[in-house]
Amino acid sequence: MKHIMYTLYFFGTFFSCTSAFAQQVDSDLLAIKERLDAIIAYQADMSLDIHADFIKMPTKYATVTYTKDQPLQFSSDDFILIPKKGLDVTMSQLFEHPFITVNRGFEKQNGKTYKVVNVIPNDDKSDYSIAKIVMDTVMTRIVSTEIHTKKEGSFTLQMTYSDKTTILPEQLEIFFEMERLRLPFNFLGKNAEIDRKKMRSQESQSGSIILMFKDYKIKYGSSVSR
Amino acid sequence: MIISGKNLSKKYGGLKAVDDVNIQCNSGTVTGLLGTNGAGKSTLFKLLLGLVKPDEGSVTVNSVRPKPLGGIIEKPCLYNYLNARENLNLFSKIQGAPTSKMAIDGLLEKVGLPLDRKDPVKNYSMGMQQRLGIAIALINQPEGLILDEPFSGLDPIGVENLRELILELAKKDGIAVLIASHNVDELQKCCNFLYVIQNGTIIKSEATEDLISQHTTKYHIVGKALMQSDILKIYNPKVQGLGVEIECGTADIGKVLQELTAQGITINSCTPRIDLHKLFQPTEQ
Amino acid sequence: MRALFWAELFKLCKQRRTYYALGAILVMEIIILFSAYYQGRSFIDLLLTNFKETFYFEGNLLNGNLLVYVILNTLWFHLPLLLMIIISGLLTAEYKDGTLQTVFLQPVHKLKFIACKYLAAILFTLVSVLFLMITAFGLSYLIFGQGDLIVYLDTFNFYEPHDAFHRLIWAFFSGSVTMVFYTVVSLTMAICFKDATITWIVAAFFLIVSSLLIRIDYGDSLFGKVLYAKLGESWQYFFHFEIPWQPIIINNGLLIVYSILVMALGMLIFTKNDIS
Repeated sequence: MKHIMYTLYFFGTFFSCTSAFAQQVDSDLLAIKERLDAIIAYQADMSLDIHADFIKMPTKYATVTYTKDQPLQFSSDDFILIPKKGLDVTMSQLFEHPFITVNRGFEKQNGKTYKVVNVIPNDDKSDYSIAKIVMDTVMTRIVSTEIHTKKEGSFTLQMTYSDKTTILPEQLEIFFEMERLRLPFNFLGKNAEIDRKKMRSQESQSGSIILMFKDYKIKYGSSVSR
Repeated sequence: MIISGKNLSKKYGGLKAVDDVNIQCNSGTVTGLLGTNGAGKSTLFKLLLGLVKPDEGSVTVNSVRPKPLGGIIEKPCLYNYLNARENLNLFSKIQGAPTSKMAIDGLLEKVGLPLDRKDPVKNYSMGMQQRLGIAIALINQPEGLILDEPFSGLDPIGVENLRELILELAKKDGIAVLIASHNVDELQKCCNFLYVIQNGTIIKSEATEDLISQHTTKYHIVGKALMQSDILKIYNPKVQGLGVEIECGTADIGKVLQELTAQGITINSCTPRIDLHKLFQPTEQ
Repeated sequence: MRALFWAELFKLCKQRRTYYALGAILVMEIIILFSAYYQGRSFIDLLLTNFKETFYFEGNLLNGNLLVYVILNTLWFHLPLLLMIIISGLLTAEYKDGTLQTVFLQPVHKLKFIACKYLAAILFTLVSVLFLMITAFGLSYLIFGQGDLIVYLDTFNFYEPHDAFHRLIWAFFSGSVTMVFYTVVSLTMAICFKDATITWIVAAFFLIVSSLLIRIDYGDSLFGKVLYAKLGESWQYFFHFEIPWQPIIINNGLLIVYSILVMALGMLIFTKNDIS
């Protein structure tokens, strides 16, 4: 198996909350954060499917390995495109710096009602300016997030879980946008019919990448995996 | 009669290359077609060999063999990158003729080519290429052989060897041989019958002996002290090279030679000189 | 007829020009391979610029499959030109050397002879394309290895190595039908013009006109759909994500029909003409 190292610096450092901090942070979110922080490592088999009008790629397979405070590792025999943003299902980037939450009420998704909060970092060092989190307060886990970064635009994550207890998603859908797509006109296949004006008028192209996780091997704070 | 062409005509554009020609050749004989360059010899041969369709007339070949006629037009055209054996093998194979080593060796031997030479034909001399061309023409044992200018480009020994081969083919194998040339000296040494073609038309056709004697008006005699002879003075002698040329017809030359011998003059050679202008003049009707 | 066909193959194998042609194909391929490497590199660089803001990627896109694809793109002008010169020479050389005359001084049927010439030409073309295919894959894989193939045809299409390999093989097969059409045309030109130089000039002109005709957009017109130049581009269909088999089969079928018609015309002219 080809071993791939990435320099994704999503540090899974545990973030300790001060009592003052705790008062400004939604308790349901804190509970979710505690569950996520308990994970010190996991490994899973992953499949990647890109859903975009302008990209056609067969399903790719890889193995993802997460260790707290270490970069995410991927290994695969195939050529794979790994999304830069959104792969950290433990939300460690989101909770890295001090933040406050603002209650935004409730939202219905797929016939179920979920709680919505905005997460606003207190620290200028944070990479994002605001994040919207949709939570399942019954199952104590995140359903979807919309994160607005300071320098790299916004991205949306949608999570689906296989059963009632698991904290890590079975399916993660990451929505992305690519701006100012440059086409290699000189290299195009001869039958390619290009409407250059139309291409230029479409400043950005969007799509999503669906990641399916299975066979999780999760290591929690204790030595026994749950 | 093996080959016969009746009332053959062929036009190229406005030019009549062959005009109402009748020609034939019998088995076991060598027939000559004498003509200057551009007289229509090659076109006539192409008509006889079926390479070109006549505008008028017909060609009859009296043979039931798979290959009734063999031939060479202008020069033997061979696959220069193949050797003699490969050329023979290829041309034999495409017409269903035997391609065994014995068959190919037989053809090479017949024309006097070496059996063991392996280099490509482009290295061969003109004489050897002519022989190979004849060998290819002889594949599948045709009853007739048509050779267009077979002596051209050959040295005197080559000419002599080829002439002997042609005579042997006619005499031993009974092949009807039709040869075209512009050189009357070559033709008269091997042909039984001669046709003379001019501007696409046959102007004369006779046994070689008769045609030559009718058109011989001079003789070139080589010998000692010829100019001292009185006999020659009445024949308007002119010194030419090592001998003397006299104006004398075929009827009188015998008598001249006898008288010279009687005078004790040694004669080394006596060569007839044909009046070519007269030869290529159409016969007055 | 088998003997005539054997004779044609024998002559092909014995002539040095045959091996010069295959050598030229190989040299041309090596040059194109190196140019393909640089072309491919700039394409990949441009592509990755698009993607690297959003994705990390691993795996080598500049691999043997991409280079074979670039070779395919480049080859369909150079190869037909080379083939047309060689194939037309099969007949023009015989006119020039007079061996055609010697052949027809033997009891050989004109129609069978020229039919075998066409068959030999087609066989040589297919062998050349096969040779090209094997060497293209061999050299590309040996030097650059295998990997995913990326092609832009309306969308960025990524193909896994084994899928890419099969598509490339099919593309060669489809391209060989086009090559056969061009060589049949060149042999027919040789029948019409007889002289080698004139035939080469006309063949080159034919190819130039063909490549110009390809560039014109005929819209949805029937003419555009049946024009031989456009049909020769069918190999590109193998790089659509879902291979559209119907137009591929129709286009190649039409090209085969055109080849047969051109052959029939050539045979008719040859049998009607005198050998001179």
